[in-house]
Amino acid sequence: MGYTISEKILAKHANMSAVNAGEVVVCSVDFAMVTDTRASNTIKMINKIGVKDLAFVKNTALVMDHYSPPPNLEAAEIHTQMREFSKIAGTKLYDIGDGICHQVLPEGGHLTAGDLVVGTDTHSVSYGAFNAFGTGIEGTDVSAVMATGKLWFRVPETVKVELNGTLQPGVWAKDLTLHMLGRFGAEGLNYKAIEYVGDAVSQMNIDDRMTLCNHAAELGAKAAILESDEKTLNWLSAHGAKAPKPVFADSDATYSQQLEINVQNLAPQVARKHRVDDIVAAHEVSNQRIQFALIGTCTNGRLDDIRQAAAILRGKKLASGVRMIVTPASRKIYIDALREGLIEILTMAGASFEAAGCGTCVGITNHLVPGNGDTVISTANRNFKGRLSNPDSEIWLGSAATVAASALTGFITDPRTVIGGDWRASSWE
Amino acid sequence: MGVMKLHDTSGIAYVLGDDINTDLHCSSKYLPGKSVEYVAGVAFNELSPNLSKRLLESRGGILIAGENFGINSSREQAVHILLIMQVKGIIAKSFGRQFFRNAINNGLPILECDTSLIKEGDTVTVNFESGVVQTSSSVHLQAQALPAEILSLIQAGGLIPFLKNNPDWSFAK
Repeated sequence: MGYTISEKILAKHANMSAVNAGEVVVCSVDFAMVTDTRASNTIKMINKIGVKDLAFVKNTALVMDHYSPPPNLEAAEIHTQMREFSKIAGTKLYDIGDGICHQVLPEGGHLTAGDLVVGTDTHSVSYGAFNAFGTGIEGTDVSAVMATGKLWFRVPETVKVELNGTLQPGVWAKDLTLHMLGRFGAEGLNYKAIEYVGDAVSQMNIDDRMTLCNHAAELGAKAAILESDEKTLNWLSAHGAKAPKPVFADSDATYSQQLEINVQNLAPQVARKHRVDDIVAAHEVSNQRIQFALIGTCTNGRLDDIRQAAAILRGKKLASGVRMIVTPASRKIYIDALREGLIEILTMAGASFEAAGCGTCVGITNHLVPGNGDTVISTANRNFKGRLSNPDSEIWLGSAATVAASALTGFITDPRTVIGGDWRASSWE
Repeated sequence: MGVMKLHDTSGIAYVLGDDINTDLHCSSKYLPGKSVEYVAGVAFNELSPNLSKRLLESRGGILIAGENFGINSSREQAVHILLIMQVKGIIAKSFGRQFFRNAINNGLPILECDTSLIKEGDTVTVNFESGVVQTSSSVHLQAQALPAEILSLIQAGGLIPFLKNNPDWSFAK
């Protein structure tokens, strides 16, 4: 009897020969991450456990990303608490503007193929892009990890999704994940691990693979995991990761569901207001006006996303009445974008850049509130009513190319209909 | 927190719907600076007016929900607030996975089964160990029983009290 990637990673970390879906196991964790939204709770829980020797802290990073920069005194004080805790306990620390947890962990070389990584954020599923089992947890969980190096897991059932064909220029992993949400519904794969395989995955750059895994959080997935290939191994090695331990599924692994999707004719997709699973093709809603365009977040704030936007907005101006904010996913991406001239292109077009972090995603940052009646088009992963602090505005979701094309025209726009909208990463052949 | 009695819990049913987002309805995520006590007084008001007051008057109760109770990020704070509100347990068709963990880690009993026949105001008697649910309007349900390890965590009052007694993670068999 064979096993899936998730089952094999969990079995290895539970020091067992095999584990089966539904079983509860205790696993050794390789790396843990705590964001500023959960740091206060985590530190409180650690004090409750009362363990003085937090053996695992050297494999723990505290990340100030959600409140980057802090919008109020309460958030600023959380950051102070994190800096102090980190200094005393000896964790890694990423400060304001360093970037979003899911970007700085892989960029910092903190994880490798075959690892088990936990973080206090639902989008910790992103680490699956590197053939690691990444999953979201809360303060009590992570305090237990810091105290013992271990955590309990219920082994998920695995759903295998084979992505065949080639995404057309102007169509990105974001369009695929929105398509998946339309197909399964929000939380439609609750508790499951997803294994994405197939030509379309192999062809994706790492940036797009991270989007593919990241957005599985909205499907409710516990993990979304890819096989590692040469691109994965090169990327990990370039970022100083430990020696990879690639894990592949057995050919006779048991899946709770298997499906094939041919991506060849997939058009750019958008999620309509308030529901992440109300999905239509961008060209079907081309009479929808927008006032506010946002590029960033752990889903789509990477270099290839900023490149897509720059390819569309080079030498152009945002449509009259449209404003645009970009937050790179990390300081490294910010610098790379700067060196490539992308920041100049987008700033000249009328966009503004803000500190790397989660700012464009959620209203708790409190510095990009939409006005009453405004329609936002965003690369974020969630769009429920009030997500950006104002329930009298609406948020639609699309790829960076779709957001940039929409900012250019003032209407939701299929990027393939504008100059530069067919840009694709050069390593694609 | 002492050892919990899981095999015979009863209380009034308070029925909520599908896709309840506890970050929005039961946390201070969008109410910065507000205490858990404040949120406990207003939680779920938009979905079930005066729920907090009604729970206090009935000396606790059992929340009944549809699919995906506690979807999305699901702050752990929601469970602390539910415990302040004297929620004795939650039965839902399904939970958001982070909420599911948070409930277990904080000793709040939960069960998954088809809740569509349970009515607001019914008295519900639940055996969280066996998964048997009985209501005063003669509805009898069998939920899938939780794995023994998860029951141990809930019974201990959550993960932290569990680890205090079992620092090596040994689950009693």
